[in-house]
Parts: sequence; C-alpha cells; structure tokens
Amino acid sequence: MAHAVKFHPSLSLLEQYTEGTLAAELSLVVAAHLDFCPHCQQLRHDIEADIGCQLAQQSAASADGEEWQQMLQQILSPDAATTTQGSVETASSTESETVATHIEQGQHRIEIPRSLQRLAAKRKKWLQLGGIATAKLPSGDDNHLSLLLIESNTEVPLHTHKGLEITLVLAGEMVDEMGKYAAGDLIINTPDHTHTPKNISHEPCLCLSVLTAPLEFKQGLTRLLNPLQRFFY
Amino acid sequence: MLDRCGLTSHHAVEFSRQGSSMIAQQDPSPSIELGQWEEALNVIAVHRDKKMYAELFKYFAPRLRAFGIKMFGNEQQAMEMVQDTMLNVWQKAALFDASRGCASTWIFTIARNVRFDMLRKKQSRKDDISADDLWSDGDYPEQEGSHSQQWDLYLIAEKIAPHFHALPPAQRLVMEKVYLDELSHQEVSEQLSIPLGTVKSRIRLALDRLREAIDGPRS
Ligand SMILES: [Zn+2]
Repeated sequence: MAHAVKFHPSLSLLEQYTEGTLAAELSLVVAAHLDFCPHCQQLRHDIEADIGCQLAQQSAASADGEEWQQMLQQILSPDAATTTQGSVETASSTESETVATHIEQGQHRIEIPRSLQRLAAKRKKWLQLGGIATAKLPSGDDNHLSLLLIESNTEVPLHTHKGLEITLVLAGEMVDEMGKYAAGDLIINTPDHTHTPKNISHEPCLCLSVLTAPLEFKQGLTRLLNPLQRFFY
Repeated sequence: MLDRCGLTSHHAVEFSRQGSSMIAQQDPSPSIELGQWEEALNVIAVHRDKKMYAELFKYFAPRLRAFGIKMFGNEQQAMEMVQDTMLNVWQKAALFDASRGCASTWIFTIARNVRFDMLRKKQSRKDDISADDLWSDGDYPEQEGSHSQQWDLYLIAEKIAPHFHALPPAQRLVMEKVYLDELSHQEVSEQLSIPLGTVKSRIRLALDRLREAIDGPRS
C-alpha cells in the first residue's frame, strides 16, 4: 500500500523541472519524486498546460517566408527522418536499452522507480563505508549523482561543502529532527542547514542523492521544499 | 474528450457559423479557436493530411521559434529545435491524446524534450540522463475537490488577498476573475480565450503558490 509522501519539492523547483531549465541531475531527483507522488504529478501537468497555453498565445510573425517553406517541405518529404537529427530515432533506440528494475547489493534486492531504471543499469561499482554503500550514476562534472544504501542503525555522515545535497528516499525509512522520511520524501541539506538523518528501522534504506556544485543556486531558489505539505496530509 | 481544451458546444456552434475553416485567419493577433488544433492533429494522424499539417505548421512553427529564441538566446539553435519538434509532431501525431491536454501543451512538451536532448548532444554526454528518463508520460489523475474547497474558506477570510500581487500575471488574472468577479471557470475561459483546462490548471497553481506564501519559508 502506497503511503502519502510528506516532503515535496517547492513549486519553483517543479516549474524549472517542467520547463526543462533545471540541471539534469536535479531534474532526475524531481522526476523520481513524481514517480511516487500523484500530487506533484498533477502540478506538473498544470504547469505544462499553462506553458502550452502561453505558447499558443505567443505572438509571432507569420510563417510565409522561403525559410519556412523549405522547412515544411523537408519535414513532409519521405526521407525526413534521415535528414534531420530527430529525437524520433533516439527515443526508439532508448527503448531497446537495458534497464534495471531492481537494485541488488549484498543480499538486498530493492525495486526502483521508472525514471531511474535506465541509469541504474549503468551504475558504477558499490563502495562500502561502514553501514553505507554508495554507487555513482552517470552524471555531469558539476553535480554528482549516486545511490546510497544505508543499513539499519546507521547515521548518514555530514557533507561539508558549498553546494546543496538533495536526497530522495526510494525505499525504507530515515528519521531526523524534522520527522520521519519514507519512499518519495525529499531531504534537503543546504550549506546553512544540515540534517543528519539516521536509519533506525530494521530494514535497509535506499536513497538517491545529488550533490550540486556551489554555484548551482542563486537567490530565488532558496526555498526548495514545499513548506505546506502539513496542510494536506 | 476535448472538453479540457475548451471545445464546448458553444464554441462548436461558433465554428460552424464561421464557415468550417480550421485555418488560422490572416489575423496576426494570437487569438485561437479553442479545440481546433486538437481536431487538426487527429485529422493529420488518421489521414496523413499534408494540407492540414501545413496549417498547423504555419501557426506553431513561428511561435515555437519565438519560444526557442527565449530559451536558447540563439536563433540558429531555435530553428533547429523548431524543425526537430515539428518533424516529431508530423511523425507522432497518432500519439497525441486530447484527453490528456491541449495540442499546444503536447507540442510544448515535445519542444522541451527536443531542446533538452539537443543540449545534451552538443555536450556529447551520450551515456547520460535523457529527456526520456525525466518526462515520461505518467498518469495524471485529475484531483478535484477537497484541497481547493478547503482553500476557498481561506480566500473568503481574505487572508490571501495581500499575496495576490506575488502571483505570475496570467495566474493572477484568472484568480481575480474567479474569486473577485465571481465568474465561473467556463466564463473565464471564454473571456480570456484560453482552454477551460488551463483555467483550472492556473487556479491550482495559484492556490499552491498562495499556500507557500502564507505558510512562509521553512527554516
Ligand atoms: Zn510531491
């Protein structure tokens, strides 16, 4: 039985994710949250409808010129797919790629959400450090993306850095002074404010973690969690 | 099915009176006939109708270009994005599902994904996160009811009015028409010529934003 997610991304984070302007690694964390959260899925849909309507109402010069005619002819020509670098092909090649529906580490086997399944198949080796195992996922140079598997009775060590650390619980439970986090909940550490979540349950806890570069966020994005979840649930 | 894009019987009647043409009039103003592009996409999907596609292209390609220039700050990349997006629209028209949203929303999501993958490819990060990972078509349960009703009470208590000015203009306008002028969602849709679904979406987004504003930042 699915439980209600309590810790959500803020609306501005959701908007940037939906527009496609948020860094890819952060977008992936938001996408994985949405796999658990119908409430934020609805908001994403609303934001898309809003932007779509803006697109339709955008004023623009008419498409009569030579350049537009050429583009139209190219699209309608039978060999269009080969003349452009279409994402049509990329999409179909993605389908045949291997995916990992579960994470296996030691004797644990844990199901993971859809948005992570393709990347999880490309994870690096598990590195064990005390009660925590980590495996990197492919990511850019600036932001680091990894899976964390936290054994019971283990505290997640602090990171001291100038960026942000966003952790999404994928399975199991963690606790800290804010409360209890379960699958779908976001734990956000900023340079000013650091949580030290612990796994005090009897099951291992699997998380996705992204560590951002120091300059990823400027003002205006200081609020990352939706502060109102307690009104709903 | 097209209801969320605003094709009400009222509009349908207007269509036939205007003489059936799906073509955007020569009018340069961005007013749209609600429902027409959803219909057009279905015709394109079923009949592979090139003439109909040309009309759709004529309307959306320059708008996508303007959008793309805002996003890329670069005309050449914007045009590349337009071509790729409009090619996808032609090839994948059959995948458009009007019950899930308007034609313009669908076209926007294609453009967003094309742009994302274009930028990744330029950085030659083949191994990496793709648009496919990030924006799969999930299920979107329509959640009407409880939350909004609860918040209507706050609105009546005038707690929210001071925060109205902080809303994005498009959302504020819809909220003012619904909560201050007390128009129905349908009336707002007609007055602003935006789809009914978009009216509802903007209200939900505005309510969520107001909730954040009232509760204050979390420390
Ligand atoms: Zn959520």
